[in-house]
Order: sequence, then structure tokens, then C-alpha cells
Amino acid sequence: MEAINKQSKAKDIRKKAFGIFTIPVLVIMAILIVCLSSGQMILTTDVSFYGFTRYTAVVLLTTIALSINLSSGRFDFSIGSLSTLSSVIAAKITYAMLAGSGASAPVMLLISIIVGAVLGALSGALYVALKLPPIITSLGVTLIFEGIIYMISGGRYITTETSNASMIFFRESWWIHLIIIVLALGVIYLVFDRSKFGFNYKALRAGQNIAVNTGIKEVPNAIICYTICGALMGTVGFLQVLPGNQIATSVLNFGSIGIMFIAFLPMFIGGYIGKYTNDKIGYLIASICISLLSSMFALFNTKTITASIQSIVTAVLLVGFLIFLNNEQTCKDLANGTLIKKIIKQYKEKKNRGETNDKPQE
Amino acid sequence: MEQVMENKKPKFDKYKAKKLVITLLPLLALILLFVFYIIILNVNDYNIMMNLRSLLNQSLILVLVATGAIFIFTLGQFDISLGANALFSAVIGTLVYKATGSIALLFIICILVAVGCSLLNALIASVFHLPMFVTTIAMLSVLTALATFLIQSQGSASGTSYSINLPSELVDKLAPLDTPIFKIILLGIFILAMVFIFNFTKVGRKQKFLGGNEKCAKLTGISISLFGIIAFALAGLGVGLGSSMTVVYAHTVSTTTASSIGMSVFIAIVFGGMPINGGARSRIYSALIGGFSYNIMTNILFILFQSMEGARDGLVQVISGVFFLAIVFVASINYRSKNLPR
Amino acid sequence: MYMQKSEIMAISKFIKGVTAIALAGASMALVACGGGNSTVKVGVLVADASGDEAIGFKNYLQQYVAKEYNYEFVYSPQLDSAEQARAQAETFIGQNCKAIIDMADKNRGDLAQLCNTNKVYFAIGSGMMSDEDYNASKNLEYFVGQIGPDMVTEYNTGLAMGQYYKETKKVSKVGVYGAFIPNPMHLYRMAGLLTGLGDTYKGQSGQNIVYTVFGDGAQFDASNIAGDVTIDYCSGFDGEGAIFGRVGEIIAGNPDAFLSVGMTTTFFADMLDKANLEYSDIDSFTTANGAHMKTGSLKYLAGKYSSSLGPIFAAIKSAIDGKAIRLANGDAFSLSQGYWTAKSSAEFEKFQSADSVTNPIFNKTVLDTLIGASYDSFKAAVELDRTPQ
Repeated sequence: MEAINKQSKAKDIRKKAFGIFTIPVLVIMAILIVCLSSGQMILTTDVSFYGFTRYTAVVLLTTIALSINLSSGRFDFSIGSLSTLSSVIAAKITYAMLAGSGASAPVMLLISIIVGAVLGALSGALYVALKLPPIITSLGVTLIFEGIIYMISGGRYITTETSNASMIFFRESWWIHLIIIVLALGVIYLVFDRSKFGFNYKALRAGQNIAVNTGIKEVPNAIICYTICGALMGTVGFLQVLPGNQIATSVLNFGSIGIMFIAFLPMFIGGYIGKYTNDKIGYLIASICISLLSSMFALFNTKTITASIQSIVTAVLLVGFLIFLNNEQTCKDLANGTLIKKIIKQYKEKKNRGETNDKPQE
Repeated sequence: MEQVMENKKPKFDKYKAKKLVITLLPLLALILLFVFYIIILNVNDYNIMMNLRSLLNQSLILVLVATGAIFIFTLGQFDISLGANALFSAVIGTLVYKATGSIALLFIICILVAVGCSLLNALIASVFHLPMFVTTIAMLSVLTALATFLIQSQGSASGTSYSINLPSELVDKLAPLDTPIFKIILLGIFILAMVFIFNFTKVGRKQKFLGGNEKCAKLTGISISLFGIIAFALAGLGVGLGSSMTVVYAHTVSTTTASSIGMSVFIAIVFGGMPINGGARSRIYSALIGGFSYNIMTNILFILFQSMEGARDGLVQVISGVFFLAIVFVASINYRSKNLPR
Repeated sequence: MYMQKSEIMAISKFIKGVTAIALAGASMALVACGGGNSTVKVGVLVADASGDEAIGFKNYLQQYVAKEYNYEFVYSPQLDSAEQARAQAETFIGQNCKAIIDMADKNRGDLAQLCNTNKVYFAIGSGMMSDEDYNASKNLEYFVGQIGPDMVTEYNTGLAMGQYYKETKKVSKVGVYGAFIPNPMHLYRMAGLLTGLGDTYKGQSGQNIVYTVFGDGAQFDASNIAGDVTIDYCSGFDGEGAIFGRVGEIIAGNPDAFLSVGMTTTFFADMLDKANLEYSDIDSFTTANGAHMKTGSLKYLAGKYSSSLGPIFAAIKSAIDGKAIRLANGDAFSLSQGYWTAKSSAEFEKFQSADSVTNPIFNKTVLDTLIGASYDSFKAAVELDRTPQ
């Protein structure tokens, strides 16, 4: 009996390990093949390494922010505009306080998180007050936030407020990016997996009517979700400033929604990996994979064709992965060689039930 | 007898009246905005006909694409690749027109390519059981990349960009189509055709049913795949017409052609009173009303704030966003659920 | 649908109420919108309303020219596509603009035709039309002309930069940023830069580099560059950080300098200043660039000055006043303006102070000599080297 338990435990562990590590291993193998065949390697310099850690943080936080609302059926176009607006306001306030000296970067980060949370709360409050489908509210909020950004900056790059030694230090310190990643993961894990709020959130996600009927307060839950998303995107807004020490603010007419699309693939990958472990770990692994791929694409920056090829590769990966995800059993049968047998069996069963178009035999 | 008659007089149904007003609100908003717009143009002594012509040109392509897209939204689906589809079909159409000089082929090819791309979306999603929205995101990237490649390789370089320009003799051929009369007739015929399909055929009825309650519709034997494919085909028709009229109007195709269509379609149809989740309350004319309303509103705001420095464009967008939410809020006031909508 | 009389009355009351609100709003609009006076209205089409160069032009037009000549310059919103530009041009025509200045570069030939049909003057204030468009437009009565760096000027600007670094700075290895190649303007500059450095692309030099790239479907591949000066190349901007990593790798390779055909002062100035790596760019004379030149490692900047828009305004005013400046054969003019190049902080400050909103190079005194002038005088004035000494 013990042996059987041990065996099934081992099988379980193997299955989990396979589920968790298959994708990252495949990604690393693909990158190695491409790099070796082109004679170049990724992450060979400090700059590329801290660029990698920063981008991992950006993708991770955006993915978590998107998934918090999306898995509750709330599509939010406004996360991009929220992140930019948070960073713009934070940059202006920080510069007014410190004029670019001292601890400008940590102060700006803190203010960006707070402003992001406030903006997220406002967005959530608008959603619950208007009781419109969240996608519609997010369209209106995006228009408003983008307009406010433009009104503050006139569409110009914000550079003076964000060019200082402190920001450069934050850009070049990969350990700060790691701290942000760990802290964000920790907070999200505690809030969504270990708190009453998190349990209520999951209950509402699984069955809105039942959860509400059992007494769970949906309105504060939704507003808190938006607030947390806002805080995460405020952090992303700060991280987006680091590479060039500037904020691009000419984002009218939904120019800000692009950031949302970088989170779809890691969200689906993370969700898949999350079946074998915690979904936050899944998002982390997926974000690392996406960031590695981005570093690989940068190697081919010497050719014009890069940008188009990148978009197509990302799109193909997204669709390909979704095909796998939604047809997992079919893919497994194909791999086992049992797919054809199953199709024939299904056809015979249908025939027996009289559901085929074949003429009855005389 | 009179007493009896008096007692039997039907009471004024406030609820019915309110419901009617709410339903007509987008149309009323359009009329009021239009009146306001004419007044402002008059006060400033602007050329009303020229401004109305510009309004028609701003709105035509959006309304064509959005009207076709209504069929997709009725199912409760989204398609974010409409703009990229319009761009790609415009590129192919322009190349064919340059090669053949045939206006008919321009329209036919634009429509065929647009319908083909739309159907590809639907087929991939339906065969592989994918979420439609994500499929369209992938298609957006692929079509934009393909269009960019074609424009850069087949187009001419000028200044800061590449474009495929029509030579003057081909532009002159298009002149009769680049007139308000033709555009209004085209729009009218297309809208009428779509209204007929949507309101008076099984296709429209079944799509509303699918959008309202997919499970129930499936149980009654309505094929989700089939009507999804029909919806995307009709949307492709709208995109194809829109892209061919883009070529007729702009006489060129560059990588930024139809760039704003994708999200503007959302705004237009919602502004026009279409419920985003589709279903029985869907209205085929939402795109027409919303497209024109939104452009009139934006034009009014630009005139009112013309002299503002720097912040004008941002302020106009903020006010547009506020109006958008306000109009949609009032238009859907009768349809509030107990729980938060999703 | 059958309605009771009372229902109809209720609805009509509602409509009346809303109409009353609309009319009240219209009355407010009456207050907000002034009636016309003798101010001449000119529409300006822009694709980029927020870049430093664009803002410099805008300030010059709205804060100097408008006041001196009682003109009103109305800017379009940011225009992304040709159809938006055309619709905006129609709107300007409908708003009684006497002229339209195009700085958006969205199918200019078409816009020239549109304006001509509607008897509104059309001029190009930045960049140039294609030769094909110019030949089709030059005899249009309402096409005033174009003044801007043509592609040859762009090529020569890159060439001068390359020659300077090859001959004066004696570089043997450089990092190069191609901005948004295959953007034609950047491509011409790159062709000039490579030629100036003595390098070739697929064995070609000069403007043949551009034609070679066009022949390859506008695909530029830096592995085709060869020559004595080693080039470590990157281009594009993804905004996500990968490009910064690439630039970082270039910096880590210890090049003698980092040369750019555009946008480096916008994107990478801080990185390059911190690395103390000398760099060059083609941009504009802004305060930020001045700071990079003074305390950073920006050592070579080619740029346009804001009042370089003055001559095209003078040409428009001449046309509106009935004294259009045309070639001898009646065609619209096409003139090229070059860049100023600053190679030191002192030179930069001299250039910046030589052309300000309050005291531009093309001030009223100079502009008055251009308005209604003959073509030859006008041409000489535009092409005069006004680099401050």
C-alpha cells in the first residue's frame, strides 16, 4: 500500500514537474538554437541583464493586473493609460518636491503606486456607480485618462522630471527589479490566496449570483480589485520610465492600449502552468520566458525585418499555445497515436445512434 | 355610459413612455448634436456644406465597417482586427487597381480579401475552439505586419513614410465615386441591406438569440459555428466596402491607413445605443447613429476649444469620454441588473 | 406602434425640454465663439504636434507671426493617416481658412489638388513632396510651393556628419543608430553617413545605397555594411527595453563615437552621457539638447531653427495679397533649406540665442522683404546661409 502511495506520489511530482518546466525548457532550447546558429548570445552584458529583469517585472505585473479583472469577466482597456498617468503625476510631484535630487526614484515609485491605486479605485468606483459593462466603462476611462495625460504634458516627452542619477541607479540595479517582483508576488499571493478578500474574490469569480446570494459584498470586492490593479500598473508606469528616463505621453485615441496585449500570452501560459502549481508562479515563469524571447529578438535588431517578424512570431505563439490549451486532450491523443482510433470510435458511435448522413443499408 | 367609458380610458403608461425615450435617446442625441453643430457653424460663418462634407467623409468608412461589425457584436463577440483587416484589404485592392485600372475589381478584391480575413478569424476560432477576441488580436499583428511588408516593398518612399499612391489618371477615374451623392447612396443601400438581414431574416433573429443566451440557442438547434461564420462574413463585407472607399477617398495606402478604425468601431456602436453583450436589444443602426454622433461631438468640441493652446486635444478627448459614458449610461438605464455587469 | 395622446405629449415635452437645453448651450457658444474680423486664418496640418521641433514651429507661428501680421494659425489634431489629413483639410476649408500649411506629410499631392479645387492656398512647410507629386502639382494656381530639406539635403547632412567623424575625429569604430529606417528620410541620412565614413552597403556608396535598399523591398540589413570604419548598428524603438539593451551592448563594445541619424537625443541621451561616449544627432536646438551638449557628451548636432518656417509664411501671405511668388514659367517653387550644425556648446548657445520667439532670424523686417518679392530675391533669401557667426 505504501509502495503504491509512493508510486502515485512520484507520478504526481513528475506530472507537476513536467507541467511546470516544459514550456520554459522549450523556450530556452529554442533561444539557444537560434543564438548558436547566429553566433550571438543574449544577456551577455550588464545592460541587457538589467533590461531583462526590468522587462520581466513589467510583463509580470501587467499580467497579474490584467488577470485580476479579466478572470472575473471584467475587460479593462484602461490599464495602459492608468500606468502612464500614474507615472506622469508621480514625476511631476516628485520633481516639485525634490527637483531631481536625492531619492527621487524611490519617492516617484511610491507616489506612482499610490496614484495608481487611487486612479484604479476611481475607475472601479465609476464601474460600480454606472453599472455599465466593464469594457464600456474602461473605454470611457481610457479616453479620459489619455486626455488628462495630454493636458498635463501637451503630448511632449517628459524628460526633465525623470532624468536624474537616482533613476539611473534604479534602472541599473537588477536586484531592485527582483525585489519589486518578489514583493509584488508576495502581496498578491497573500491578498488573493490567503485572505478573506481573496476567498470572496474566487467565490465571485466562480459564481457571481451564488456568491452574492450567500452575502459576499461584490461592490467593495470589485473596487478593491481595481485598486490593486491600479497599484500594480502604477508600478509598471514607473518601470516603463527607467529605460530612457522619459515618459512618452502622446497617447491619444487609444494609443495606450498596446501594453495590454503583451500580457495575453503570459497570462495564458501562466494559467496553464498554474494548474500544476500556484498561478502566480505560473505568471512569473511565463514572464521570464517572454522577457527572454524579447532579448532574443533584440539580437536581430540589425535587420529591418525584425519588427514585423516579431509581431508575427508572437501572434503565432499566442494562437498556437491557445490551440494547444483548448485542445489539450486532442494533442495528447495525437502524441500517443490514439487520435485516429478515437475519431473512428466516435464516428461509429454516432452511426449507431443514427446521427450520420449515411444512407441506411438495404 | 360615459362614466364607464371614462373608467376604461387607458392610463398614461409612464414606463412605456420612458422606455421609448430611452430607446430613442441615441437618435435624439444625434439630432440635437446636429442642430447644435449647424448653429455653431452658422454663428462662426463657416461653410456649412464643406463641413458637412468633411463630416460625411470622416464618418463614412467608420459607419460602413461598424455596421458590418454589429453582427459580430450581436453574438457577444469582439473583433479588434477590423482596422488591420481594412488596411490589408485596402493594400491588396490598391495594388490590383493599379495593375488593372478596374474600379469594379478594386471593390471586389477589397471585399473578397476582407471577407476572407474575417472568415479566417472565425474558422480558426471555431475549429480550434479558441476565444474569438484573442484570435483577432493575433490576426491584428499578422495583417498589420503583412500590410507593412507589402507597402514597403511595393510602395514608393516619400518624406518619412512609404505609401502606395494611385497615379493621377486612376485618381481621376475614381472622381465620380468620391462625391457626397455616391457615398450617401452607397451608405443608404448598405444600411438598408443590413437592416433587412438583421431585422427581417432568420440570420438576424438567430444571431440575437445566440447573443442573448447561447446555451438556449444551441439547444434549439442553432449552430453557433455557422452563424458565427455568417457574422464574420457580413462584417468582412462592411470592412471591404470601407477599405475600398478609403482608397477612393484618400487615393493612397500607407501603414497608418485605417489605423483608428479598430477602437473607433467600439465607440461608435456603443455610443449609438448597442449593448456590448449583444443579444436581443442589438440595433443595426447603432453604428450609423453612433459614428455620426461621435464625430459631430468631436468637431463641435474642436471648434469650441480652437483657441486653446496645448491642452486642447487632451481636453476634447476628456470631454468626449465623459459624454460617451453619460450617453451610454442614460441609454441603458432601463437595463440594470442586480449584480455588477460582466 | 399605437400611442396614447398623453404619451405623445409627454414625449414632445421631453423633446422640447432637451431642445431648450441645446439652444441654451448654443447661446453659450455664441459667447464662446467670436465672429470673424479681419484676421486671416491659416490651417496647419501636423502629424506630430508635440515634438520639440514641432513646438518650436508652433511657437514661432502663433506667438510671433500671428501677432505681427494679424494672422490666426489653427492647428489640426495629430493626424495619423492620409484620410484623416484630407478630412481635416476639408474642415479647414469649411472654416474659411485662406491657406493650409502642411507639415503632416500625408499624401501631399492629393491635398494640393483638393485645396486648388476649393481655391485655398496650399504650401508645404516641412519636408518635401515626391518628385512625381511636385510635377503634378506645380502648375496648380493655389499651390504656393514647398520649402524644406529635400532628400539630397538629408543625404548631405548625413554625409557631413560621416566626413567630420572620419576626417576630423579619425574614428575607426562607431556605434550607429538608424532611427526608424526604412523611413526614407532616415535612410537618406544613413546613406550619407556611411558614405562619409568611407563605408559601403552591398558594395554601393552615395545615394545608390538608398536605391539598393529600395530594390531589396526597403529591407536594410547592417551585415551588408563594409569598410574601414567598423560599424555596430541598431535601429528602431520598441519602448520595452530591448533596444536599450542593444544600445548598451554597443556602448560596452567601446566605440570611438555613437552616430545617429535621428532620435538619439530623445531616447538615449542619458545612457550616452553617463557612459561619457561622444555622440551625434540630427534633431533641433532645444534647451534639453543644449544641456546635453554643455554637460553631457553630445558633441555634434545638426538641426533646423524654428523661424525657418518664415519664408513659407511670406509666400502664403504674398499669394493671399495677390502677389504670388512663382517661377518664371508660372510654376510653384521648390526650395531647399539646410540644417545648422553645432559642434560645441558655445556654437549651440550661439545658434539657440540667434533664433528665439521674441527675436527670430526671420523677423518682421526680413519677412517684409520677402512678401511680394520676386522669385529670384525670394530664392536667394531662402538659400542664404544664415548660420550665426
